[in-house]
Amino acid sequence: MGGEFAVGGAQVQGAMSERRVGSNAKVELLLLGVNHTTAPINVRERLAIPTERLGDATKMLAEQPGVREALILSTCNRVELLTVQDGMGADGDGSAVGGAPTLSMLRFLNEYLRVQVTDIQPHVYEFRESEAVRHLFRVASSLDSMVVGESQILGQVKQSWTVGRDVGAVKSTLDPLLQRAFSVAKRVRTETQIGKSTVSVASVAAELARKIFGSLTGKTVLLVGAGKMSDLTARHLIQQGTQTLLVANRTEARAQAIADALRTPSITTGVIPLAQLYEQAHRADIVITSTGAGHVFTPENARQVLQRRKNRPVFFIDIAVPRDVDPAVNDLEGCFVYDIDDLQQVAMQNKAVRNHEAEAAETIVSSEVARYREQMSRAPSREAIKQLMLDAEALRLQEMARIVQQLSREPLSEEQIAAVDRLTKSLTGKLLHPQIAALREDLGGSD
Amino acid sequence: MSLLWLRLAVILYGVAALAVLPAALYHRPRWRHVALPAALAGAFFHFVSITETLVAAHRALPVDTHETLSWFGLLLVIAFLVLATRYRTVSFGIFLLPVAVLFTIVPAFRPGRESLSYSLVGTGWLLLLHIALLLTAYAALFLSLIASLLYLIQERRLKQKRAEPQRGWLPPLETLDQIGLNALRFGLPCMTAGLLIGSGLALQTIGLAFFADPKVLLSFAMWVAYVLMIFIRTHSGLRGRRAVYLSSFVFLGVLAVWAANSLSAVHRFKAP
Repeated sequence: MGGEFAVGGAQVQGAMSERRVGSNAKVELLLLGVNHTTAPINVRERLAIPTERLGDATKMLAEQPGVREALILSTCNRVELLTVQDGMGADGDGSAVGGAPTLSMLRFLNEYLRVQVTDIQPHVYEFRESEAVRHLFRVASSLDSMVVGESQILGQVKQSWTVGRDVGAVKSTLDPLLQRAFSVAKRVRTETQIGKSTVSVASVAAELARKIFGSLTGKTVLLVGAGKMSDLTARHLIQQGTQTLLVANRTEARAQAIADALRTPSITTGVIPLAQLYEQAHRADIVITSTGAGHVFTPENARQVLQRRKNRPVFFIDIAVPRDVDPAVNDLEGCFVYDIDDLQQVAMQNKAVRNHEAEAAETIVSSEVARYREQMSRAPSREAIKQLMLDAEALRLQEMARIVQQLSREPLSEEQIAAVDRLTKSLTGKLLHPQIAALREDLGGSD
Repeated sequence: MSLLWLRLAVILYGVAALAVLPAALYHRPRWRHVALPAALAGAFFHFVSITETLVAAHRALPVDTHETLSWFGLLLVIAFLVLATRYRTVSFGIFLLPVAVLFTIVPAFRPGRESLSYSLVGTGWLLLLHIALLLTAYAALFLSLIASLLYLIQERRLKQKRAEPQRGWLPPLETLDQIGLNALRFGLPCMTAGLLIGSGLALQTIGLAFFADPKVLLSFAMWVAYVLMIFIRTHSGLRGRRAVYLSSFVFLGVLAVWAANSLSAVHRFKAP
């Protein structure tokens, strides 16, 4: 069975540093996962863990041999298992690819999801210690996302963290690490422009509408023609607050079908006969056209629409090829025309901005990883000081009790006991001082 | 002491005017946290300075052009703060704050020595109200003009189809339009009340001859223009370039009235 869990194709990157936590047990941070760049959808969907089962799965992972703490991140684009491993004796330093910790996690996937390890092993990546920290920071900051800079991932990491804490799988090591990841993500979002621009055609159109109208609540959208892209754009606009949707199509039945599909309790829809398009178009603030029938809107009829609207702006989103809206309409005061090329161009420019900002974000992540490592490297000294002081105090109390016992025939007064207590405390403190000072020097004098 | 507060206010306005540039133009929102507190603190010290001056001089009115401009500057900063709070935009600061600095820097560093040529006993607070209301109306008109200009800029950017961050430095077109129109709607009652109070006072002190003064007639003509402007904007949906032209025309008219009242000796409310 053991050979079945070998991870021949797994990626191992970065330094394999170690640190000690608490006693003498070796602890290693290990992250195993698949994402949109390493695994096709048919693999990812088999590994996906639904939200309602996340707690159960995390608990089971934390109960695997050698696992001290655990967290599972499961989204449509990635499934990752982050663990704090303990007692790596079987593998020496635990750095070998496909070592016992990795096998343990793959065994968990096999048992929990009934997935053959041989099916997933070519797609699995593995990060340890500081590289695992870096990966987590990058994921939380949305630098590893399919759409760099999207904001959903941070919420998903937070959800995994909450679940992990609830089931007792996220404790003293992962908890501060996760909290640091959130603050890194926040820093990336506030110090760079990574999430400040939209990158899909539909969202660019919705964002432009917001630049014209501000809030889209109460605005009316007119769909002229039917098509996937226009449908998607209309849905984006509805998400942004649009409440009224009108549909005009060559065949009224088709228009009615579209209107029915988009109608919800909060969305009012209506159908306009194509013959009455110009009489009714002024009702719409945003017109999405996708008929491909040539110039449906010319400057003349656009001017009429404007007049009927008392010059209130109108936004034409022309998704058709050939174009439905004459480009000259854009020259009219109050008319804004964006065709598919314009929208794609804005989306591409926004993508370029995001990629540029991603470079700055990577620098932030690197500096935060270094800071985290530095803080963690101080942990042993901090633990040693604490342990030394606890041991000394225990010894002092033991000796005090022994003296009090020896003098039980002629018991000391309360004042005398207090004086001996002060004396022993003072002696202990003075005897420990050089050692503590030396350890504090290890901490860089900051503590 | 009041000059010290005024100078402090000028420095703070200057800081705010500079900080608003990276916040609005270079997409560095953190600079808002410098611009807004600086403007708020500046407005506070400015108010303290004005109050101290008026209390020390035992009067309730600005007596010279410098003081009047200083009041106007304070009103512009207040308008900036209101817009920043209400619409979450500091873009107006690009224009309003430098003007406020300009209007405040002269009285702060070269205070005037003019004095009132008439007695304020009995009419002090009414005259104060008259001046304050008219200044507020001017500030509202100025704000409306700035909003129209920003509307033009935003319109041009949208027509040029340039990519920019999700929230560009300018508010949405419709918001700018609302700001412009609401500023006018706020300014109109101020101007109306200001003119009525002024007319009442003039009737008491000068009599009907007051209404023969061309500058006074110009003031009423400006009021009519103000009303017409609101009417046209509301009923024909005038926006963009034409709105800028209209606002500029009325604003220039108001400036002419104010300049005529300040500079010409013909109408100075001389005591009978």
